[in-house]
Amino acid sequence: MTRFVLKRLAQLPLILLVIYTVTFVLAWALPGSAVINDEGRQPPAAVLEAMEAQYDLDDPVAFYFGYLSRVSGAQWVISKFDEDAAAPRYVFDFGPSFRYEDWTVNELLASTLPVSVTLGFGAILIATIVGVASGVIGAVRPNSLLDHATLAVALIGISLPSFVTGTVLLMVFPVLLGIGRVGTWGSAGDFVLPAVTLSLPFAAYIARLTRLGMIDVLHSDYVRTARAKGLPARQVLMKHALKNAFLPVLSYLGPATAFAMTGSFVVEMVFNVPGVGQHFVNAVQNKDLFVIMGVTLVFAGMLVVFNLVVDVLYSWVDPRIEAT
Amino acid sequence: MKKLLVIVLAIGATLLGVALTDRPLPRADLTVLEIADFNTLDPQRMSYLQDFRLAYGIYEGLVRWDNDTFEIDPAIALSWDISDDALVYTFHMTDDARWSNGARVTASDIAYAWQRAMMPDTAADYANLFFAIDGALDYFEFRQNQLDEYSARPASERTSANALSLRNEANERFKEMVGVTVVDDLTLVVRLARPTAYFLDLVAFPPFYPVHRDTVERYVTVDASSGAIRQDHQWTKPGRIVCNGPYIPVHWKFKREMRLARNPQYRDPTLAKSDTITIVPIEEENTAVIAYKTGVVDWHSDVVTDYVPDMLDQKQRGEREDIHVFQAFGTYFWNFNCTPRLSDGRPNPLRDARVRRALALCVNKQAIVDKVKRTGEQVASVLIPPGSIPGYESPAGLGMDVPEAKRLFQEAGWEDRDGNGVPENALGEEFPVIEILMTKLAYHKDVALAVDQMWKSTLGVRSKVVIRETKVYRDNLKRQDYMIARGGWYGDYGDPLTFLDLHRTGDGNNDRGYSNAAYDTLLERADDERDTAKRLVILSEAERMSVEEEFPILPFWHYNYVYMYKPPTDAQGNPNPGGLRGITTHPRLVQYLFELELVKQGDSQ
Repeated sequence: MTRFVLKRLAQLPLILLVIYTVTFVLAWALPGSAVINDEGRQPPAAVLEAMEAQYDLDDPVAFYFGYLSRVSGAQWVISKFDEDAAAPRYVFDFGPSFRYEDWTVNELLASTLPVSVTLGFGAILIATIVGVASGVIGAVRPNSLLDHATLAVALIGISLPSFVTGTVLLMVFPVLLGIGRVGTWGSAGDFVLPAVTLSLPFAAYIARLTRLGMIDVLHSDYVRTARAKGLPARQVLMKHALKNAFLPVLSYLGPATAFAMTGSFVVEMVFNVPGVGQHFVNAVQNKDLFVIMGVTLVFAGMLVVFNLVVDVLYSWVDPRIEAT
Repeated sequence: MKKLLVIVLAIGATLLGVALTDRPLPRADLTVLEIADFNTLDPQRMSYLQDFRLAYGIYEGLVRWDNDTFEIDPAIALSWDISDDALVYTFHMTDDARWSNGARVTASDIAYAWQRAMMPDTAADYANLFFAIDGALDYFEFRQNQLDEYSARPASERTSANALSLRNEANERFKEMVGVTVVDDLTLVVRLARPTAYFLDLVAFPPFYPVHRDTVERYVTVDASSGAIRQDHQWTKPGRIVCNGPYIPVHWKFKREMRLARNPQYRDPTLAKSDTITIVPIEEENTAVIAYKTGVVDWHSDVVTDYVPDMLDQKQRGEREDIHVFQAFGTYFWNFNCTPRLSDGRPNPLRDARVRRALALCVNKQAIVDKVKRTGEQVASVLIPPGSIPGYESPAGLGMDVPEAKRLFQEAGWEDRDGNGVPENALGEEFPVIEILMTKLAYHKDVALAVDQMWKSTLGVRSKVVIRETKVYRDNLKRQDYMIARGGWYGDYGDPLTFLDLHRTGDGNNDRGYSNAAYDTLLERADDERDTAKRLVILSEAERMSVEEEFPILPFWHYNYVYMYKPPTDAQGNPNPGGLRGITTHPRLVQYLFELELVKQGDSQ
């Protein structure tokens, strides 16, 4: 187990280097200039040139290695020994933002990442509870009215894009009923509507996974045995059947959680959530190179660690599966 | 199953912990919605509307505009003398202006800020406004050369110590070269390169505001390899920032909120009306309106949803009173590429002013404003919004005139020679399909489709809309890689030049590649003219030339801003509790945060 974890962690820098290189090539190829204003005034040409030189925007090789050395912490180490070398602000310095000039990418990540992670986890939690519950209800009486109803809701949940469900929730709760707010972020109430919106597609998928798994398991021999020996139906369902039917859901939860944390751009827009999803889209549109690379690297790192955690959890929940 | 429960509970507890540690502040006296977060709080680096609006509240310049009349009021400077040749301005500053840390605001603070703006190291978008000052342009170029020479030295000579002495030399040269002289703590003498009628108007503009030298310097480093001064903007964060306006930022979270509180050191506590102000950035246009409707914000400063026309209709019918349309200091237009050849090497038919004028004459702008845009804009036949600059007489511009357009088109050599409905030149080559470069916003495309019909049915000219990402659009514009492109311009200072410089040969914002010696001569004559009234007449002639003959641009309408707020008085003129007081309607639309306040219960008029 320890060896497995260490091996996977050792692969991390290599994976990040590959991702960094690919991201760099794609971001560099974006059309337009990173330092120019899209609308309105243009500063004198000499100013633009000076800015491009300052950030090595005129030299891809210098940019690639310069940024690599700041991001990896190498520059920080060098600056400790060479007093003429520029000292980065952080050990792992992701650079400044071109668009939001008063913020560094480190600060942007520090302020937005916790929001997205909270929202993503919250959405998955809601999705799991709602999805498993409705899946079990459907499986107990297949083809009943209740089963069809949950399936229909699941279908809607999967098909409707979040900007529709989000806007409908906004119109119903804050506007019509006066419950909740929009546009501010901080209190627990602000978190509910976006988390529900984000959770719907996941809940729908989990409901279908659970229902299929349960129907399968309920017909298996050991469940029949359990019933035959006179166990109460509730205990059979929750203790014997659900435990096995839940395994496919668990393996889906790994990528789903990662996706919920990254894929919330639309939800962030609709509910004005100050999360990290906006950077994935806006930074590319603004050609905000340091933000693009910083966000990608941090997320790649998180995903690797996250998948590792899911693998470890998996073997902990089900001892038959060994993490190797 | 128990193990799973442990996981779920652990996640739940973490979420609760995050939610509990991240408490929102209590509601401010006034909450303002901006459609984007601030780019920078450094006044010398600013160029976006929301940044300027904040700067008026947290900084103070030598002088201040009266935002209803645009006369110049005293601010830090109590008075000023102007020499007879209009070249030397002497500012006499008040002795009770204080920074938020208690230090006195001195003339050297102003000089320091202006020097920053003039140095290429700072990369100020508005550096060229400072070139009105004697020696500023030379200083900018001196520093540029100094840095270029330094970068060319061998690496062994580029050390921290040498970079620092380079900077010291630049500081010394500033005093010698540039016409900004600190006479004593409270007297600043400014010598201009040539008489600049609008100089005081410039001084009221945020890039001319002072910054607190020690605070900024604490975060400045000199880069050993390039010799350049590296500005670190960490000083703008609440807790560190030192400012001299009626408010100070006390809390700033990215894309969440900016909280302002009264600056206890500000000399006139009656200037600021609200005690605390929160500014919330909301980008999504529909969410922004909902935030206003649900009372989260008191003033929505830029409503752009596609149901604005419906809301305006409701106002017309008396069903709502919280939406307001004001004319702004800007104009929506299309750029014509005026260069001889298109980017693919074909000759450019639009280089001929007669062709551009003919195309302009066939556009029914009123119909576009009424039926396509539908948000109450005023049709534009000139570039500078009429009535926005005191003493300036706008030219008439041209209306719609299809017969004249056909005549001009023929005169330029384009007529339908083979009867297929498409005009050809003398060589029999068809008039090319005009590509109209647009960005994503829906109305751009709608306008283009309407104009396409107008041109097809009158001149037989075909066009097609090309939609590009903003970065690509900006890049194409810069390289004149387009035929026609949407454009627009907002003025910065109260002088026609803030618009007319656009057509000057070689101007950094001349995206059209337009060059006309007669036009340039007019602007130069205006630069040299000492009599203010005569100067405005010359500038008016320059504008007339551009909008009646030359048409480097085709103006459509003067921009509006749509605000949402509850009016301060009801229909009978009684105070309206919760209404917003202090909004100015002058077309330059400079809203001072310190003038805004909500009407309280029981307020009298």
